[in-house]
Amino acid sequence: MTLDNIKTLEPAQLRQEMEGLKAKGFDFLSNLIGMDWGKEGGLGVVYCVENTNTHEQQWLKTATADREQPVLPTVSDLWDIANIYEREAYDFYGIIFAGHPDMRRIFLREDWVGYPMRKDDKPEENNPLRMDNEPLADDTTEYSVAADGTVTTKKNTIFGPDDYVVNIGPQHPSTHGVLHFRVALEGEIIRKIDPVLGYIHRGVEKLNESYTYPQTLALTDRLDYLAAMQSRHALCMCIEKAMGIEVSERVQVVRTILDELQRIDSHILFFSCLCQDMGATTAFLYGFRDREKILDIFEETCGGRLIINYNTIGGLMADIHPNFQKRVKEFIPYMRKNIKEYHAIFTGNVIFQNRSKGIGPLTKEQAISFGCTGGTGRATGWANDVRKNHPYAAYDKVDFNQVLRENGDSFDRYMIRLDEILESLNIIEQLIDNIPEGNYKEKTKPIIKVPEGTYYQAVESSRGEFGVFLESKGDKSPYRLHYRSTGLPLVAAMDTACRGFKIADFVTIGGTMDYIVPDIDR
Amino acid sequence: MFDFTKVTNWIDALLLSFLPGWAATLVECVLVALVIITLYAVFAIILIYMERKICAFFQCRLGPNRVGKWGSIQVLADVLKMLTKEIIDMKNVDRLLHKMAPFLVIVASMLTFACLPWNKGAGVIDFNIGIFFFLAAGSIGVVGILLAGWSSNNKYALIGAMRSGAQIISYEVSIGLVMLTMIVLTGTMSFSEICQQQADLGWNIFRGHIPAALAFIVYLIAGNAECNRGPFDMPEAESELTAGYHVEYSGMHFGFYYLAEYLNLFICAGIASTIFLGGWAPLHIWGLDGFNHVMDYIPGAVWMVGKTFFVVFLLMWIRWTFPRLRIDQLLALEWKYLMPLSLVLLVVMALCVSLGLTF
Amino acid sequence: MSNNNYFSGIFFGVKSLLTGLGVTMKEFFTRKITEQYPENRKELKMFDRFRGRLVMPHNDKNEHKCIGCGLCQMACPNGSIKVTTESVELPDGKKKRQLVKYEYDLGCCMFCELCITACPQGAIEFCTDFENAVFDRTKLVQQLNLPGSHVAEKPVAPKPAAPAAEKPATEKPAAPAAEAPANTNPEKPAAV
Repeated sequence: MTLDNIKTLEPAQLRQEMEGLKAKGFDFLSNLIGMDWGKEGGLGVVYCVENTNTHEQQWLKTATADREQPVLPTVSDLWDIANIYEREAYDFYGIIFAGHPDMRRIFLREDWVGYPMRKDDKPEENNPLRMDNEPLADDTTEYSVAADGTVTTKKNTIFGPDDYVVNIGPQHPSTHGVLHFRVALEGEIIRKIDPVLGYIHRGVEKLNESYTYPQTLALTDRLDYLAAMQSRHALCMCIEKAMGIEVSERVQVVRTILDELQRIDSHILFFSCLCQDMGATTAFLYGFRDREKILDIFEETCGGRLIINYNTIGGLMADIHPNFQKRVKEFIPYMRKNIKEYHAIFTGNVIFQNRSKGIGPLTKEQAISFGCTGGTGRATGWANDVRKNHPYAAYDKVDFNQVLRENGDSFDRYMIRLDEILESLNIIEQLIDNIPEGNYKEKTKPIIKVPEGTYYQAVESSRGEFGVFLESKGDKSPYRLHYRSTGLPLVAAMDTACRGFKIADFVTIGGTMDYIVPDIDR
Repeated sequence: MFDFTKVTNWIDALLLSFLPGWAATLVECVLVALVIITLYAVFAIILIYMERKICAFFQCRLGPNRVGKWGSIQVLADVLKMLTKEIIDMKNVDRLLHKMAPFLVIVASMLTFACLPWNKGAGVIDFNIGIFFFLAAGSIGVVGILLAGWSSNNKYALIGAMRSGAQIISYEVSIGLVMLTMIVLTGTMSFSEICQQQADLGWNIFRGHIPAALAFIVYLIAGNAECNRGPFDMPEAESELTAGYHVEYSGMHFGFYYLAEYLNLFICAGIASTIFLGGWAPLHIWGLDGFNHVMDYIPGAVWMVGKTFFVVFLLMWIRWTFPRLRIDQLLALEWKYLMPLSLVLLVVMALCVSLGLTF
Repeated sequence: MSNNNYFSGIFFGVKSLLTGLGVTMKEFFTRKITEQYPENRKELKMFDRFRGRLVMPHNDKNEHKCIGCGLCQMACPNGSIKVTTESVELPDGKKKRQLVKYEYDLGCCMFCELCITACPQGAIEFCTDFENAVFDRTKLVQQLNLPGSHVAEKPVAPKPAAPAAEKPATEKPAAPAAEAPANTNPEKPAAV
């Protein structure tokens, strides 16, 4: 959608406005995007808050012209997730958030020089390859602004000398990738968790600023590799809407089917990896056995298994394969049968039940405040499904339930996903015989230029709301292309969810949160 | 039933014919040690191969099938690899303890391995308090594990070792009580006598019926936990502690832990088959004399190994089905469920025996 | 915990464990799904849309369709394609761009298909060959146009004066490149 109603605020008004919005029920901060609008526009932030009852969105922006020491007020006390988003903006743009308790870099090394997403920064010159170990400070800085405008700093401690800190990651089997948690333990019990991110940070958003639009598509598959279809769908949809391209019904339906297949794929892998983490290696391979069928469907139609590369601006890379419908129809009953096996071997198991029920609960308020969308949020009872709240593609034409549960613990997060597999199978079943005729791709110009403006498109990816924020100046490359990571809020919520539980529960909670590292780091 | 003492007596006589008494004993000791170590290695290889194949079959896979026919010499290749690997010297470890720990574990495992009665008259360590010795020798292993965790100077290893200590000591309570239950039934602690009795009177699991069968299950659970095997592999818990207490070991030092884990599995199963399933005693069914006669022709060692591998299969089946427990659940299982149950079993068995309700 | 819970808990627990054991025992005897690669090389056919690596198809006269326009090089996000062209003078005096070397770095390629979409001639495509492992990274840089090959002429065009290429021209492949100074495509890759 085109964002033509972004409210511009002076930094001084920001706090008051935000507090007002929060009080009016805008309790979900879905985006906090650092921006560099150049010399005139200054450095700033774009906010998006959503009312979780009415699903009304409000976009705001603020900026400061000071490039030496840009200071903006923090909103991290209003929404928990702002804590990590503001650190991201600080890391990439050097914007200091006054009152933020933990102003550290989050993705880049602590000894990084410069703020790479600023348009005038030269990261290669200032940062030669460093051969020394990465420093990790045990304390952090809090900035505050006095009434006369002077900025003062204060030291805050993350881990004291008495904390027994264990590094879980960056090389650790339960973090599913290069994710690093510093965990303070008391015996087996977790006292505090501090995530250290960025080990697989590839600067996708920075790269996008020098890529042409078709080239940017190639990177979305590499964010959340278990939601490749949906992420690319979001980006394509965003660009299509910005350029006013109407894709055919056929494309809409095929995209919907593939999105749901991707969701099943992701949830099967979620099940497998959770089993593996909890020591049930056999169930792990049962999941992989079934996932293979989906990957075959993908490979036949799209040519790729993990990096699918199928959606494109204006449609699809190729029409669906003649075998596609047959294979999908074979898969639906097969998967329904095997879900029963999953329940028999794992869900019902008394060991699993005892290890997951009541473990790592998040309340609905916490989930909203942390912006934990997707299955994690729905397990707390928060109806956050983008497919229902802001329908896109063919989701308004199908009949499906939004799976919700109440307790928000690990068991509910797990059950949500297994139930969503069945729900996705329902959606596919409704569509697979009714794929309308039409073009699989609309004609586009050889060089794609998005008209000037700001655009946002969210989809329900496999693990939550994936958003694409695009600001264009009318060039063949985006001025700023930001992705709302689905995993970052989940990692941010780990500390809250894990405190007081045991190390073994950390694995369960991390597994059921279901984050994917390349999507967190981008 | 063939009595293996004939063979040992013949060797003894042969050696005594040209050696003085002390030398003959020495040579016999060396021979027995060689046999035990060889058997130890051979069984380790068989078990590792068996585990990999069985686990693969449970998981819809084929398992190793590249090296040799059906991957049969895969494990040999792995052993060679392990032997040629460098043992890395760590900087900040407690050198002596770090190097000693794997030997303690392997020594404990070998001592208990020597307790197994292979055939009539073929038990290496066999005296009137055999079960007692077995329990005592088995407990040395936990010292090795604790030392490994402590000396590695690694937080994961330390947590793993502490878990292991808590786990093994707890489960030894159950094992001890279950053994006691069976001693009440058999009236002896010597492995050879227990086997002989079962050959004469029938397997203990049938003689002791309900309490013995339950004791068998308790023993399997507790024994599995003693071996640190899944679903009780908390000390290693690769998804939490990467490898637990042996995370800092490399090469053959790691190999020792690996070997000991598999052999402990075998020993646990071997003791289960000795105490509950008759050891080398063949299967006899009352009234079927012809059948019993045929069974007698199968050598005792085959019975013993066969039963042991059956129990090993059961344990592997369990290991490859269940998720891992959490440490507090593991201790709750022991102290709230298994220990009371084994106490009750002990009382019930004592009542059964005193009232003559056993077969 | 009341006594009732204690015993029903045991019962439920044992039952659930037995269900699990039943599932694994059933799977123990079902058909295994392992693919026996490389024994099944003959049957193992990749799907025809599978993107294995980039190739430039040549016809039986050793002709390809590439005109050396460099659009693929511009489209590539990773700079894994390098097109080297030269200018040759045709007998009628016109200058014409001709492909000298089409280098493709498989190690950089991310199989996004943008080059193929960009190509106006349909000169390149992905083949389904998936056994791409090599021992040396430099071997991943492949030259896609065969030695001595040249662009296929349109049937209406007059016969080109290139008799040498008709013959087994494989003997001296580098000769034309050595004579004329190789003129790299002046257009920069879009992004590196």
